[in-house]
Amino acid sequence: MTFEKILFYVFSVILVLSATMVITRRDPVHSALFLVLAFFTSAILWMLLEAEFLAIVLVLVYVGAVMVLFLFVVMMLDTDKAAMRAGFVKMMPVGLIVAGTMAFEMFLIVGPQYFGLDKFAMPAPHPADYSNTEELGRVLYTVYMYPVEIAAVILLVGIIAAIGLTMRKRPDNKSLDPSEQVKVTKGTDRIRVVKMASEIKQEAK
Amino acid sequence: MIALSDYLMLGAILFSLSIAGIFLNRKNVIIILMCVELMLLAVNMNFIAFSRFLDDSAGQVFVFFILTVAAAEAAIGLAILIVLFRNRRTINVADLDALKG
Amino acid sequence: MQFEASNLIPVVPELFILSLACLVLVIDLFIDDEQRIFTYALTQVGLVFAIFITLSVGQTEAQIVFDGSYIRDGMSDVLKVSIYIVTIGAFLYSKEYLVEHGLFKGEYYVLGLFAVLGMMVMVSAQSFLTAYLGLELLSLSLYALVAFDRDSKTGSEAAMKYFVLGAIASGMLLYGISMIYGATGALNFTTVTTALMGTGMEDIVLVFGLVFVVIGLAFKLGAVPFHMWMPDVYHGAPTAVAQFLSSAPKIAAFALAMRLLVDGMLPLHSDWQQMLVILAILSMALGNVIAIAQTNIKRMLAYSTISHVGFIMMGILAGTSEGYSASMFYAIIYAVTSLGAFGIIILLSKKGFEAENLDDYKGLHERSPWFAAMMMLFMFSMAGVPPTVGFWAKLFVLDAVVSVELTWVALVGVFFSIIGAFYYIRIIKLMYFDKAENVLPVIGNLDTRIALSVNGVLMLALGLFPAALLTICVRAIGS
Repeated sequence: MTFEKILFYVFSVILVLSATMVITRRDPVHSALFLVLAFFTSAILWMLLEAEFLAIVLVLVYVGAVMVLFLFVVMMLDTDKAAMRAGFVKMMPVGLIVAGTMAFEMFLIVGPQYFGLDKFAMPAPHPADYSNTEELGRVLYTVYMYPVEIAAVILLVGIIAAIGLTMRKRPDNKSLDPSEQVKVTKGTDRIRVVKMASEIKQEAK
Repeated sequence: MIALSDYLMLGAILFSLSIAGIFLNRKNVIIILMCVELMLLAVNMNFIAFSRFLDDSAGQVFVFFILTVAAAEAAIGLAILIVLFRNRRTINVADLDALKG
Repeated sequence: MQFEASNLIPVVPELFILSLACLVLVIDLFIDDEQRIFTYALTQVGLVFAIFITLSVGQTEAQIVFDGSYIRDGMSDVLKVSIYIVTIGAFLYSKEYLVEHGLFKGEYYVLGLFAVLGMMVMVSAQSFLTAYLGLELLSLSLYALVAFDRDSKTGSEAAMKYFVLGAIASGMLLYGISMIYGATGALNFTTVTTALMGTGMEDIVLVFGLVFVVIGLAFKLGAVPFHMWMPDVYHGAPTAVAQFLSSAPKIAAFALAMRLLVDGMLPLHSDWQQMLVILAILSMALGNVIAIAQTNIKRMLAYSTISHVGFIMMGILAGTSEGYSASMFYAIIYAVTSLGAFGIIILLSKKGFEAENLDDYKGLHERSPWFAAMMMLFMFSMAGVPPTVGFWAKLFVLDAVVSVELTWVALVGVFFSIIGAFYYIRIIKLMYFDKAENVLPVIGNLDTRIALSVNGVLMLALGLFPAALLTICVRAIGS
């Protein structure tokens, strides 16, 4: 067993266990945190596959942005955990059977019979001066220019949809508008001179 | 030596776990969304493993785009979830029964 | 790689729609609610321009640009133009509905245009990557549109269901694509096809990937047993959105199936043919039978869509250019018919009232003989009654299937169409032979009424002269 193989097994076990935790935890916050762990371990496995750029992007974008968004929403929504769990135990056998059969059938296809080392030899590691980021960057802006543009549009749609769906003007909003604030003039906007009849203070009797 | 099949089997386990998760947590939309993320992770694992063993960068490029789209998808999904919660005060799937026929 | 500006010419329609969407987005920021009509007008004029641009860019031979990720051929031109026309119709019908329901906002048109762009990308996809991105662009815009009425309980519920199932479907599709990539080492359709013909890989791996691709596709098309989302989404979404959802995206879904299965994986034809036979038969059976039990017309039309999707798949599974063009004809005709049927629902819906129960159609003949006649034409066309165009659409598909010696599939199709005719004709019975429950006259804006009339007469005109459109479809597939 080489060192790499040991690393692979250690991190695979952590990945599978954390994925199991994601789907079985009672509290969505725990699920989200285990999902973060799953992403971290995947990133390490991707490093073993020499996909350094994507490994870093996974941590930065996924853990850093998407999962934080998930946690925000989980915390924001007040959910009834007990009701959510109803039927969990009842569904357990079905879920296990479905997952077990699926995994078994998929193993038959993706297992060593068709994808073993004799079919796909381990490629030689890239030389030390090889830059994965440079490699991806070069093709992204030449060969994959059209997909890059579409991806940009997809992100724009994401922005428009998220803002359009959730932003609303609240009537009790008390925030100030700075552009209105700086427009005040010294005289009339700040002091108001009120003319009123003089009052005589009544002496207490 | 780590074989391609090892990575693919890992992807298959993740994929099956995500399907099982959707079955088990049919009541909780948030966990279902997390299961979808797990499913995409399985797909990404496949693509990167293939990309390495075929020595072809297209697989990695595809993963790059999946990550981009998944980020936009998560934003829209959570926005819809918030709208739903505002309207119904619940995200329990069992309570979502306005549409039947 | 040298960059050549002439490579951009085939993509001019996409660039135009993208610029239009961005322009509408920015202009809409600076106008008041009373001037919102300007946003609408700009969108419509832009879409009309897009028709001319697409036609003028179109040539006879196919062009593949952007290193094989984009194709412009006869099929893409015809489908794009039909997508614009159907979208113009959908925007036209929905304007009044949106105004009355307080949904007349710029975002509706911006998201609609982005959905059109997504469909165009799907129609012109020449690699798995572009097909996936186009599909996601369309789906993300549609999720947001379904939830567009933010205060509607049913709308947000429908959007959530649509989103979750759509995301799972994307995951399935991607897993399938990853296996095909692993087996062929390419994402580009041309390269994948060449690699598949070489069959260096064991067939079972390819079929394994194909199964996932077909499941993902079936989810998006709404074929049984992956149809659960459709009735709920049609029912819950605002009617204006349901109308858009049921028309143009069906054309794009046909294109996606064509690109993935025919352009990408034609050497696996015998494998996907079997899968599509099962999906098509289940869709026609379940769609038509369950539609009978519906009391809500939007749900009924959803099940009717499911059965029509079965027919569209039937043409594709024939695997001949005759079948493809029949299927293309069917998809376009279905989109136009569905547009009209939803147009009638919108016409009858007023502020605070949705004409979505079948009982609301009782005695429509007394209230408005003309629009009752139009609805009758739409229903006849969906049922496939001559002389409406729906009859020819069904006939061409059946003919294509029989000519590849799958007569039993065609017979099953005919059988379930006859069952399906029952619920379409029930609506006609309600309109003509039942007493009206309310006697309010049918009022609508002049543009809506003219468009609906044109749409209805089109059913009849195309039915009398189907050759014109069919020739276009045959030529498009042939090029």
